[in-house]
Amino acid sequence: MSDKFRLKDWQELPLGGVVPEGGNSRYYETGTWRTTRPVWNQENCINCLTCWVFCPEDAIILKDGTTKQGKPRKEVAEINYFHCKGCGLCAKECPVNKKGKKITIEMVAEVS
Amino acid sequence: MSKIVAITGAGAMSEAMRQMNPDVVPAFPITPSTQVIEDFSQFIADGKVDTELIPVESEHSAMSACIGAAAAGGRVMTATSSAGMALMWEMLYIASSMRQPVVMTLINRALSAPINIHADHSDSMGARDAGWIQLYSENNQEAYDNLIMAPKIAEHMDVRLPVMICMDGFIISHCVQTMQTEDDDQVKAFIGEFTSTYPVLDTENPATWGALDLQDYYIEHKRAQHMAMQNAKRVIEQVSEDFYQTFGRKYALFESYQLDDAERVIIAINSIAGEIKEVVDDRRAKGDKVGLLKIRSFRPFPYEEIKKALQGVKIVTVLDRSESMGAYGPLFGEIRTALYDAAEKPLVYNRMYGLGGRDLFMSDIHQLFEENKSYLEAGRVDKVFDYLNVRGG
Repeated sequence: MSDKFRLKDWQELPLGGVVPEGGNSRYYETGTWRTTRPVWNQENCINCLTCWVFCPEDAIILKDGTTKQGKPRKEVAEINYFHCKGCGLCAKECPVNKKGKKITIEMVAEVS
Repeated sequence: MSKIVAITGAGAMSEAMRQMNPDVVPAFPITPSTQVIEDFSQFIADGKVDTELIPVESEHSAMSACIGAAAAGGRVMTATSSAGMALMWEMLYIASSMRQPVVMTLINRALSAPINIHADHSDSMGARDAGWIQLYSENNQEAYDNLIMAPKIAEHMDVRLPVMICMDGFIISHCVQTMQTEDDDQVKAFIGEFTSTYPVLDTENPATWGALDLQDYYIEHKRAQHMAMQNAKRVIEQVSEDFYQTFGRKYALFESYQLDDAERVIIAINSIAGEIKEVVDDRRAKGDKVGLLKIRSFRPFPYEEIKKALQGVKIVTVLDRSESMGAYGPLFGEIRTALYDAAEKPLVYNRMYGLGGRDLFMSDIHQLFEENKSYLEAGRVDKVFDYLNVRGG
């Protein structure tokens, strides 16, 4: 564990319980809360980015890609399991899943 | 320049606030502290200060606004009494735990019920564990002087805690006494500029205030607060010395009045000390070795210093003006604790007086000295706790 995450002594604490930096929730591993894990099947994904819109943890990671016609677009790269809480919203909202013929995001039980 | 003025205790507080020109004053009126804000809002209306006054809908909101304004980076003051401070309760702890150097005038008044507007110390004594520094004032002059010292104590980087300056309702707040006010510029220079830590309006350096703090950190934050309160003892003494150098009036953590060779001592808080001094003078003139120890700083409480000051004293009568139902008075508890480690322990006992503004006369104080004389002669205290001046005994 890096020094950043060492529990500090009382003498080292900023005054009044202040957290003296912004955006530090990125260091919080909410992934440990998960009981089910979304598994993304790339071959079925249409890159509509609905999962990315709905994800409350910003755990759908995008990358630059192109359409079949060669136009630039964003595509799903992976799921960030450090932050993903396994809420299942992505699987619920996925339009491919909704059609019912194929599964793009599948919720599977976490095994500890 | 300094002036001798005839002014009420509450008026003296608003005068000190005018001179200090705080950035923000959120307040809600309650007897007997109303005049502090009433006079101060007149100063605002007259353009004598550039303070932002926030008239709020309750004292809970008043203290919330104090905390918010202080976190935003302002120097903040307010005033209240009794039920007003009771309604602030939750926010009192938040102000001190968030280490906001808010300065509050607390004009001591009894808590309901039955409803009563007169002086006792049940409001501030109930808040003694809230993490606020508590300084008490015998008269208008001391209240004024304490308020001018308050920001320097509160804002000291080894302290950073809120301070309440207490005085007795009506007896001091509404009575005109002559006192000395100091020069505006000198007061401003004495308190200096306020530098806030992690101001929320500093968008270049974002910070989170009031975050959740669970088993892994809460106790460390409390430990740090405890240290700040310990440091406050030294800082109060330092600031009092600076005040003495600048304005010539001397203050300590408590006042020792004729203590040096005293055998029998009364310990008390706030305005009653004035009467006790008169009685001590009377009896001293007749060769009676009596004295007074008047508490100024109740939080932090100067245990060691009081133990030392009471060396050689044979009997101590502790006067409490605040009930702690089912226990001794709050001051008595502290004094007996301070004396437990003394090599030669004096006899010590507790008398409850003055609840809801009931007067204690000089004749009563004479009687107290007669009582502790007979206890001393008998070598034992008959009643450790009793009420004074209550019908039915």
